[in-house]
Amino acid sequence: MIRATPGGRLAHDITNRGATAWIVSALLFAFYIVLYFTEWFTPLARALHLGSKWTLYGTLYTLAIVIGGGFMIRRYGHNRYQVIRTFSVMSVQLLFAYSLPQLLVFLQQPEFYFSYLWPLKLDYLTPGYLFHLPLPFILWSMLGSFLLVPILGVFFGKRWYCSWVCGCGGLANTFGEPWRHLSTKSSASWRFERVSIYTVLGLSVILTALLFASYAVGGAHPELAAFTYKYQGWYGLIVASVLAGVVGVGLYPIAGTRVWCRFFCPMAALLGIIQKAGRYRITVKDDMCISCGLCSKYCEMGIDVRAYAQANTSFTRASCVGCGLCAEVCPRGVLRLENVARKAPQLQLVQIVTR
Amino acid sequence: MRYAIAGNGVAGVTAALGLRARDAHASITLISGEADYFFSRTALMYAFMDRLSRRDLEPYERGVFEAQRIELVRGWVKDIDAQARTLTLDSGRTLGWDRLLIATGSRPRRPQWEGLESVRTGQVHFVSMQDLEASERAVRRGEKAVVVGGGLIGIELVECLHWAGMEVTFLIREPWYWPVALSDAESAMVIAHLRHHGVNVVTGETVTAVATDDSGVVTGVVTEAGRRYECRLLGVSIGVEPAVEWLRAVTTPPRLKRGIVVDAGFRTSLPDVFAAGDCAEVELSGRAAVVEQLWYSAKRQGRLAAQAMLGDAVQYEPPIFFNSSKFFEIEYTAVGRFTEAMREFYYRFEGRDASLRVGEENGAAKAFNMLGSRWDHKVLEGWVREHRSLEDVMSRLDEAQFDVEFGRLNLAPARAAFEHWRRAEWAAGKAPA
Repeated sequence: MIRATPGGRLAHDITNRGATAWIVSALLFAFYIVLYFTEWFTPLARALHLGSKWTLYGTLYTLAIVIGGGFMIRRYGHNRYQVIRTFSVMSVQLLFAYSLPQLLVFLQQPEFYFSYLWPLKLDYLTPGYLFHLPLPFILWSMLGSFLLVPILGVFFGKRWYCSWVCGCGGLANTFGEPWRHLSTKSSASWRFERVSIYTVLGLSVILTALLFASYAVGGAHPELAAFTYKYQGWYGLIVASVLAGVVGVGLYPIAGTRVWCRFFCPMAALLGIIQKAGRYRITVKDDMCISCGLCSKYCEMGIDVRAYAQANTSFTRASCVGCGLCAEVCPRGVLRLENVARKAPQLQLVQIVTR
Repeated sequence: MRYAIAGNGVAGVTAALGLRARDAHASITLISGEADYFFSRTALMYAFMDRLSRRDLEPYERGVFEAQRIELVRGWVKDIDAQARTLTLDSGRTLGWDRLLIATGSRPRRPQWEGLESVRTGQVHFVSMQDLEASERAVRRGEKAVVVGGGLIGIELVECLHWAGMEVTFLIREPWYWPVALSDAESAMVIAHLRHHGVNVVTGETVTAVATDDSGVVTGVVTEAGRRYECRLLGVSIGVEPAVEWLRAVTTPPRLKRGIVVDAGFRTSLPDVFAAGDCAEVELSGRAAVVEQLWYSAKRQGRLAAQAMLGDAVQYEPPIFFNSSKFFEIEYTAVGRFTEAMREFYYRFEGRDASLRVGEENGAAKAFNMLGSRWDHKVLEGWVREHRSLEDVMSRLDEAQFDVEFGRLNLAPARAAFEHWRRAEWAAGKAPA
């Protein structure tokens, strides 16, 4: 016999911005600040025979994904899309983002993460780093970013990466699952997102261009090399450390799980543009929506899915990571993720309201 | 032009937005005594179960009403004067209008049980925002609850109370759950699913009396068979009826039968007064009048009523029936209505709570009842409209599947069973030539 029980006060509090949620958030912030800006974790890492604090972090991160993934699969075991997708992020993390890099180091090869690509990992298109790698790694980086990403993006949308491969999305969709509904759905946040995410994409492209320019002519133009060096330092601090790590994960219990992915990730921005032009969409079954709002509530990207569903509009939003939870929670089976050869024109949100 | 709409449910709000889309200058006033903002009534259960906050129930951002210049007024309409073209709220405020839409929806059907007059607390319905609040207050974790009524709202309330940790008994008067829509076999699957969750389901029991203690707290119900079911919370969901009683007392009442009588253009007997949604009884040309009480029909009627109020020639024709629901984890899609005259193919999938039923009349598929997997009702509707044969429909059934990727229900066993059934029917001489 299955016995349903209400989550209880603590579970409600921790997942609905109660006092405990703020405490967890503060602890996550503290953890990331200590990790990035101090060496306090180093002795612990050494004591555990993990080499550096980064290996310790990788171990914790992988554990969070594997354990969280286990809970995810238990909870959504009836939905094969969720089971397979979760299995995928768990495996990618365990193999490509954890075991393989360490194996490479053991084999005296560069520590390389095949699951990360430019522009998420700018290093992999930084000439000073890239060209010192063995040829297969260089090829993987170039082909990955310039062939694999756009081709798979056209056929399957950004979900193949953001919800099936990426470690940031992986953590969000496993460990972060209890907080997914906290993303803001306001139109104002959508306006902010469109500015912020393409700004970061622009900054990352400019940085890569500068790195190449500086690599080519930096000797003759030391001021360019110096500027690039400084720019790279700031980008690394603000985007890679603060936004992706401290803010991205630290805000899980307050602002939901995909703050980094939704507002800042340059990879998500690029894939989003490809997705808009590609085949992926969320198909809406006409006239079946009861406007309950579960889809919007459980959208971690803050998309007001209900606005489309209740207006009978199939749609593709650049930000949608294709996690499939909207379709899962819909009590009337109105939504389905699809890759269709031809997409009908999509209504704008203003038209949707007055239809 | 001044449009006033009484009721901010899905019919009223759809009408208001429809009016604004076509008339940029009119004044539009939306009146509700129930809630400040339009909310999804069908989602009340998810608010109860902590899946949604109250605010999440609102299908539109609040700014939408300001942006669309729809004035929201909180209050119950107490009087309508169609001669003076005014309405009066419970606060005493009077509003003028040129065209009025009454969209006041449904109210729970009241039972006729002994002892009801002594009930002070412990008895709840589950239709309005106020019902939700009352239900939440009445919950006593670990204690017994009884829900009376074998329909869709009843099962929602059962799920809510069960979630809240109450020991729930579901008392159904009919021989099985929801006979209006489900067959005995389909109901058996749903009931088994409920029992698996720990709900005590009792069929064929008619409640005749409710028992209370000295302070008016519900303590149980008594059935026709003389059995007594103890409970601290009594949920009553024996159906809904058009919320029209209040109209009998107004200065100019519109013609009423079961609901507010309207023609196929949603006009009531009063000039420039329209009605739509659950409260309307639509007289169709050459057919019996309909009272439709679904989210879908209210939305449809609200949209059309707005067109009628704008002066369009509207001739309402209810489309092929469809409905959907969810019984705990079992999803339900229905298209068309089953009748006694139909030949039926039914298949229950093995190893999961899923089944399908197709009804055929005069060689054409007319009705579908799908449980436990997802279906595109538009595709099924198309087949009904095209008078496709049962064989044709069964051979292309996969085209209507709407399950998640990788999660498609395997139809092969259903097709094999259909072939078997078809041969048997043919041998028995029942199949059409």
